[in-house]
Parts: sequence; structure tokens; C-alpha cells
Amino acid sequence: MSLSDSQNIEEATTSLQSQPDAKTRRYDRQLRLWAATGQNALEASRILLLSATATSTSILKNLVLPGIGHFTILDAATVTPEDAGNNFFLEGPDSIGKNRADEAVRLLGELNDGVEGKAVQESVEDVLEKKPEWIKGFTLVIAHNLKAKVVQQLSDLLWEDEAGPGLIVVKSAGFLAEFSIQFHDHAVIESHSESAPSLRITEPFPTLLEHATALDLSKMDPTDHSHVPYVVLLVRALEDWKKNHGGNPPKTFPEKKEFKKTISALKVKMDEENFEEAENQAYRCWTETKIPSEVSSLFELPAPSLSSDPNTLQFHALLTALKEFTLTQHPHTLPLSATLPDMHTSTESYIHLQKLYKARAGEDKATFNTLLAKVPGGAEITDDVVDSFLKNCHAVRVLRGRKWGTFDADREALTTALQTSPRETSTHLAFSALSALPSDASPTEESLRAAVHGIVGQDIELPEEFDNAIGEIARSPTADLPTTSAFLGGLVAQEAIKMITKQYVPINGHCVIDLVETWTGVIS
Amino acid sequence: MIKIWSMKKNEEAANKKKPKTSAAQIRVQKDLTELDLPATMQTNFPDPADLLNFTLTITPDEGMYQGGAFTFSFVINTNYPHDPPKVKCLPKIYHPNVDLEGNVCLNILREDWKPVLNLNSVMVGLQYLFLEPNAEDPLNKEAAEDLRRNRDAFIANVRSSMKGSTVKGITYERVTV
Amino acid sequence: MAAVVHPGQASHLGDWAGRYFHIDQVLDKPGPRTDPSFLAGDGVKKFLREECKILVIGAGGLGCEILANLALLGFKDIHVIDMDTIDISNLNRQFLFRQKDVGQPKATVAAEFIMKRVPGVKVTPYFGKIQDKDDDYYMQFNLVVCGLDSIEARRWMNATLVNLVDPENPESLKPLIDGGTEGFKGQARVILPTVTSCYECSLDMLNKPTAFPICTIANTPRLPEHCIEWASVLEWPRIWKDKKMDTDDPEHIGWLYGVAAARAKEFKIEGVTWALTQGVVKNIIPAIASTNAIIAAACCNEAFKIATSSAAYLNNYFMLIGTDSVYSYTFIHEQRPECPVCGGESVEISISRDFTVESLIEMLTEKQHIQIKKPSLSTPTKQIYLQAPPQLEAATRPNLEKKVSELVADGGEVTVTASSLPFSLSLRITYT
Repeated sequence: MSLSDSQNIEEATTSLQSQPDAKTRRYDRQLRLWAATGQNALEASRILLLSATATSTSILKNLVLPGIGHFTILDAATVTPEDAGNNFFLEGPDSIGKNRADEAVRLLGELNDGVEGKAVQESVEDVLEKKPEWIKGFTLVIAHNLKAKVVQQLSDLLWEDEAGPGLIVVKSAGFLAEFSIQFHDHAVIESHSESAPSLRITEPFPTLLEHATALDLSKMDPTDHSHVPYVVLLVRALEDWKKNHGGNPPKTFPEKKEFKKTISALKVKMDEENFEEAENQAYRCWTETKIPSEVSSLFELPAPSLSSDPNTLQFHALLTALKEFTLTQHPHTLPLSATLPDMHTSTESYIHLQKLYKARAGEDKATFNTLLAKVPGGAEITDDVVDSFLKNCHAVRVLRGRKWGTFDADREALTTALQTSPRETSTHLAFSALSALPSDASPTEESLRAAVHGIVGQDIELPEEFDNAIGEIARSPTADLPTTSAFLGGLVAQEAIKMITKQYVPINGHCVIDLVETWTGVIS
Repeated sequence: MIKIWSMKKNEEAANKKKPKTSAAQIRVQKDLTELDLPATMQTNFPDPADLLNFTLTITPDEGMYQGGAFTFSFVINTNYPHDPPKVKCLPKIYHPNVDLEGNVCLNILREDWKPVLNLNSVMVGLQYLFLEPNAEDPLNKEAAEDLRRNRDAFIANVRSSMKGSTVKGITYERVTV
Repeated sequence: MAAVVHPGQASHLGDWAGRYFHIDQVLDKPGPRTDPSFLAGDGVKKFLREECKILVIGAGGLGCEILANLALLGFKDIHVIDMDTIDISNLNRQFLFRQKDVGQPKATVAAEFIMKRVPGVKVTPYFGKIQDKDDDYYMQFNLVVCGLDSIEARRWMNATLVNLVDPENPESLKPLIDGGTEGFKGQARVILPTVTSCYECSLDMLNKPTAFPICTIANTPRLPEHCIEWASVLEWPRIWKDKKMDTDDPEHIGWLYGVAAARAKEFKIEGVTWALTQGVVKNIIPAIASTNAIIAAACCNEAFKIATSSAAYLNNYFMLIGTDSVYSYTFIHEQRPECPVCGGESVEISISRDFTVESLIEMLTEKQHIQIKKPSLSTPTKQIYLQAPPQLEAATRPNLEKKVSELVADGGEVTVTASSLPFSLSLRITYT
């Protein structure tokens, strides 16, 4: 490519040097989702997989590719001909007779040089008995098709330590599957919510209000007139409205209609896009609350115990400072976000407005930091985390998890769920029954039904969807179908990534999958 | 294999065999044969067998651009109507919403295009630009500035640019008929 | 448990005893929701493993997963088409490729990997475009699974399979299973050409990539994206004229980045980076292994169920959003009667070889049940008669006096459009 007169050689060379390094290029398509912070969290994670089934290796494949730090497969079994037929991370007949964990680790390792893999040739039962603490050294533990008794032991072990690893329990048979995640608390700062932060149109900060009230729309040059940002137009229109309506914003439907008319009446030409935007965004003048209820409800959460994991403690410190901010700082809103959406205006007006928002956001951050410093542990929180928290504080999420098995011990909840989500609950119960049956028993519809009645009670009537669930499980109780395992592999890896990166929102409950009719559902 | 055919047999319209005319081709044929254009707009097909490449000439009969003939090229790709037609103004003209490279600022050619729109909507939109040039969101900043500052001077510039004169150091193409 | 056979005893097609232990559980017995027409046992296994021929379109993010799934499911005769070569940014999800494969054709490398890993499976790659292949080629398959990222390619494949349907030949109806992903979201659907809604029917459901007003790009940039579009939409053609921009060429991206960054600096706009430049000009869609795994599994599961009848199949659209918990929605997307690909009406017309185009048009306008006003006619390759614009009417007018048989072969198709018709009509012409 030859160089044009518009650009000198030096400039072009500098540009080329800005090309990202090989690692960034490799991970480009995922960095666009979870950025460097998410990637760092993945690379620091250590995952333990219990048994190297087709489903387990499918899950791991989707975690090794994006670059977790380490994985261990715990499996004492040797590869059978049956294993070699349905597991992509075994080499067909060549793997038969070798240790299953060894083979899987070797083949999974080929996917990404940056990931460390380890095979441990021991059974889960042995490890639980001899060195249970070892299991706690991981970030996340994933178990596929273990018997209920073993899962119970694992669950007890991992639950006793509040800062201990999360546990994903995965079950599958033929076309059906389910999984659930055991965790104490899970706080998400970057929820990647679609909701945008407040622009503070109803509670304009002084410089914004000043800017809006200083405008003289009637004397403005037509070009400038058609480039006043809608945010400014709305602040101004609302201020003028309040003056004539006893300080109140539009409340009733006719008032809202009237308010929009006053905006439209300010147009000097038919097609002024900024005024059209203002009319379309006018709802912000009456729907914006000071603090989203999802956020204010978090202020009421009890303080976590000191043994909680560091992330939970840090999040709580941030939340405490945030609550303090909203209580003490006028006008009792969340700190202002510096993010300004695009709007129809000139470059100059936009950059000016952006500066106003950035300046105010900076002041709010300074105030927030002062408050944070007074909260135990607050002073140690890094600036990056504070920035991320303030940027996302309108959409932060806290999930309060439950111990594995809690749902099945709650007959009332099960009875309700059977009515509200019959197909999901039926499949879930069928799996509970399957994993409770002794391993040497061949499950039948009768034995599964009896086991479920043991869980929900003898007098509960089971819905017709239940017949579908037990029928399907009795048909193929030990089938780890390639597509079911791949589907689960994807879903469980998505959840694992969400848990590890603490971005996006994981499930809280049981996710049930039916690949006969192809649906999924979450119950809790 | 499942017996799809048995389901099909139950269908009323069992013989819906379609020609290999592409969806884009059918749409273009429909759009073109149903054009409802005033006398001020005329299409021209260099190759009448090729419906995907043609020009449109607009000769406004009122407004500041009256007396000119403005030709636009239309290029339609096989992903039409998912993709909008690509339209360029062929002569170099003095217009706030057309730049010197022939790029046209018309919302339905880019950000507001949707498959329910058709070639007629685009053509009508183009004609509107000559009746109501928009100075507020321009592509040719100088022309827009002139229009805003002094409408009469702008009109004079339009007239002389249409004759092929130089306006502010830029020589425009003669487009008068 | 099936009997354990020593690897050395592997039977034909690379099979060994116990190989299909898992899959056979659903092939030996029906489930409660299995259609009664399912014939459990050897017949269905023989069809799946020895007779069924399946085509995979795309060997990228979805394609790699699809190939691996199909091979493990027991499909033995798999074909794959892909026109791309392997890029380093594919390696975070396209798990059949390694660093050493960068630059190699995806279809070939993927096929070789599958054949090496799963004994007895034959994967036939084609490194090229789907448009290179003709109807006879597509006719040989029982099923087609699509894992594409291009709307245009999907529309082509969909239209081709709809057009392939021959009322006289049941074998001509090829189920099309289509998947797509974006970040944590994705969808899978089953298209039974002419029977269910097709890809074209749902074209208006697609999200369009964000486009910015050209005057914003030219004059009032506010976002880094505006500066990048200025570089690619306005500056590139101005400076480089007809030279085609190659968004895979780092020198081209480097130039665009440099130009965009300079403009951003001029306007005091922050945030122009190499990654953003590349993202905007290539319209990069985030992609991760896990979502591809889910969607590819859903697609292959449908292929397996359709090929074996072992369970009900998806009717007809599954969509998944994994950003906030796991949300999915399974629904029937309805066929659109005015769809230009699978909708419209088809009429068989038998005329004499002497019948003129003019008489044919007259016949159409007089036909009681259709009553088409001012019909325009064309064949797939040429126009027969167009009512407007005047130039095209004049150019096609001489055809009015011609015999239809001079312009359309026996059994040929004529597309009819008219303002009174909300859809298009296709005529199948036969001569008496």
C-alpha cells in the first residue's frame, strides 16, 4: 500500500505499532465482552472437575479456550469403550484402558498453551475422606452425575467455609439435564445491565441547571437552536414547568401530554431532531427515581460475617459508603455517572456537556472516597474498583445463594413450584430421584416415582409433565449424549465465567434443560 | 428421517415450487415497476437487462435548484432490501447535504433504512433535498454556512455553480438543462 | 453394560463394541414424547450411520462445534463448506484449530481434525463459496446445518433449499437447521422449506448494525465511533479512490486508526483505539466458545432427532439470553404469506407453443381468482415484460409479440409482480 499525501510515513508507522499483541488478538472476541478485568479474573482462577465424563470435558473445553488459569480433573477411572465413543477429549480406541483424567487433561491442554492442566488419579470419595481441605483450594468445583450422597458431602464441606469455592452440581440423562450453583453471596458490580445510569434531569446538579437556565432559545441562531442537546432542553423545560405548577413535575397523563407539547412548541422549524429527541425522552422527567429500588433494597442487607470472601466484604464496604452518600449528600441520589449517551448536537455542545458531567462525577467520586475511607476496609479498595463501582452503581446486583439441597428439603416450596413450573420442577425432581437411587439399580419409572414421593410427600399429586420426565430418564438413565453434554458444556461454562469474572448475572436456583422440545427454565 | 413429506401433503398449497429468481431480484422488479415518480424524476438503465445498476435524474421544477438536472447513481446489492441501495450524486454540486465526493446525507440511505422502505421512498427523499436543503446538519459545510448567513447570496451561488462556475475556489459541474 | 471388546477387534467403519452405548439408549427405545412412527433399533441406526448424508455450512465458531457433535452422534458422511482461512482471533473458540494452522483453510483443517479424532467418520471439506455449488450438489444431502455469520449467505442457502423443493419428489425437501450467536446470546431454529417459516420470513427480526448519520460523521462527531466511520466511509474512498478496503489487512486498519485518532484529537474526543477501529469497520460481533457450544449443540440435537425420529423436534425457534441468569424462549415463528422466498403463490399454466407474451398477460389480467392489474414478468435470468419505468417498458415491449416458448423453456418459471399483488406470483409454464 502506498502512502497518500494526507499522511506522512511516521504517522502510518506509529499506527501500525498500536496493533495489539498476539494474546490480545487471540482473545479479541471475548475481551469485547468482559475486558481485561474479566480476563485477569479468569486467568487467576483454578477449576476442579470431578470425573472426566463427556459433559465434564465439554465444560472444561469452554473454559480452557477463553483462558482460565488452571484446571484439575479428579478421576480414578480408566477409559472404557463406552467413554471412548462419546467423549471428544479421548482418542477413540487408542485411549481405552488408559487413565481417563490423564487422557482428558492431555487433549484439553492442546487447546490453549496458557492454561495449566493437571490429572489427579483418585476417586472423589477417597479425596473427601483423606484430604477434604485440598478441594477448598480451588475457585470453583464442578461435579457431573455424582450420587446424591457424595454431592451432599461435597456441599457440606464447601458450605462450611463462607469464603470457600462455589459448587456447580450438574446432572444429565439422555435428552434431559439440570444444574445448580451453590454459593453464599455473589456480588456483581459489572452486571452489563441494559439500563442506563440517571442523567439527573429531575435533580440537575448546579452547573447543569445553570447551563440550562442560561439558554435564551428565542435569541438563538437557528443552527445553535437545532443543536441544543435534549438533556439541556429537558432540564430547562422541566424547570420552567415546575415554576408554573407549584414546583411539581408533570404527574397526570394530560399533564405529561401538555409537557411534551411545550417542548414541541419551542421548535422554530419542523424537523429539529434535538427537540424530537427531547419529546421522546420526556418520560425521564417523571419516571426517574432518585435511587433505583433494586439498589436501595441492597442498603438493607445485613452485614456479611468477617469470614466471608474478600469480594463480598469489599462490595459491602462500597455499598455502605454508597448508602452514606445517598443519606448525607444533597439531593440524595446515587453519585453521578460520567457516561453521557450520544445525542443530536454539535461536537462543541456535546463536549461541553460531557465536561460538566465529568466534573460533577469527579466531585461525587471525591466525596464518595471520603466516605469510603471511614468504612472498615474501605481505604484499601483500589481506584479501579471504585471507578467501576461508581460507573455501574445503578445496576449492581447481589445474589444470596443457598446450600445445595435446600430446595428439595422444602416441601412447601416444591409443592408451589410443581404448580407454577410443572415441567421444570418435574424434571428437577426426577433427577433428584435418579441421583438418590443406588448406583447398581437400574432405574424404572416406578422406582423414580417412588423416590420422588419420598421427597415431596406421598399425598402430593404429580403433574402429567412428571410422566414425561421419568419416562425419558428411565429410557436412558446413563446416557451422556454428545449434544446434551455439549449444550450443558456451554451453559455451565457460561455460568462459571460469570461466577469467576463477577460480571453478568449467574443463575440462582436450578436450571432445567429439556432437549426433546428444546427449552430451558430456572426454578428456585 | 422424520416424515416431513406427509405433513406437506396435508398442506393446501402443496405445489409451491418457486423459481430461482432471488428475493432481491423480485423486490427490485417490484420496486421499479411500481415507481410512482413525478415528471421531474427519470430513471435510466445503461443496460436495460441489469436492474441493479441505474441512474436517477432529478430536474426540479421549483425551488432554488430549478433548471438543473442532477444525476444519481444507484447500486443495489444482492442483500437488498436488508442492505439499502448505495446512492451517489454523480456531478460535483454545491449543496449543503451533498459533499464534493457525491456522498448524500439522507437518513433513509443509512441509519434509518429498513426493508419495508423501497426505491420510491429513496427517490422522493432525494428530490426533497433540492426543494428544502437542510443547513443544520450539513455535509458541505461551506454551502450550509452560506445558506444560513444569507439566503439570497446562497441562491446566487447555487445559480452560478449550476452553470459550471467556481464558488469559493471550487469549480462545480455544469448541470443546467 | 455392553460387552467390552478389545480395541483390536474394532469392526467396520471404525466401530467398536460399546462405542454407541450412550446414543443407543435413545435409539433402542422410544420416550414418552416420541412419535409413534419411530422404529427403534437397527433400522434407524443403519440410516444414521450408513446412509444419512449431512452438509455443514461454515467451519467457524459454530461449524467446529457442529462437526464435532455430528461425528460423535454417529453421522458418518459429513460435508463441510467454508470459504475462510484461520485467523489468530478464531483460536479462543474454534477449537479444532491451533496456532500452527493460522492461514490454512478452515474447512480442510477442521475436516482433518475430526477424521483423526473420531474414527470411521468421513468429512469432505470444500474450501470455497456456497454459491459455487449447484442444485445437484445440494440435492445429495438429507439435512443441512448452518453455522454462518453472514446474513447474505444465509439468505442464499435458505432460498436455494426452498427452491429445491419439488412437489413430485419427497427427497427434495431438505430440513435446514440454522444457528447464530452474539456474545452470551444465540438462537437455533428448524426450517422445513415451504412447510415452516423460512429465514427470509424473519428478516425483519434481525438487528441492524448501528449506522450513524453521514452528516454527524462529517461535521459533528461526538463519539470515537463517529471518527472511525469518518476514516472508513468518507476518507478512505476520497484518498484511495477505487482501492478496496481490506478489513483483515493490518496496514489498512492501521491507516484507518491513524486517521480516526487524528480526527478524534482535533475534536477532543476520547476513546479511539485499535480494537475499537477494528470493531467498527469489521462490525465485529463478540463471540465465545460457550455460547457457540450451546447453539451448535441445539442445532445438532435437532439434526439427530430429525434423522432418527427418536424424539420430537424443535418447533421451530429457540432463543437464548445468558447475560442475566439463563433465559430462553421457544416459540413458533409463523410463515409470512408474502415472503418473497417461501410465500406467494404458484400457478401451473399450460399453453400452446404459439401463445404470445401479450396473450399470457391478458390471460393473467382476466383470470377471475387472481385479477392482476398491470403485471410485470421476468424469468430468473431476464426480463420478459416490465410495465414501468418507461425505458424498461420500451426495452421489453418487443417481447409482447414474441411467443412465450421463445423466452421460457418447458417447465420454466416466470415471476409475476404487480402493485395489486402484495406478494409475488410464480408461474410454471408447460406447453401443450
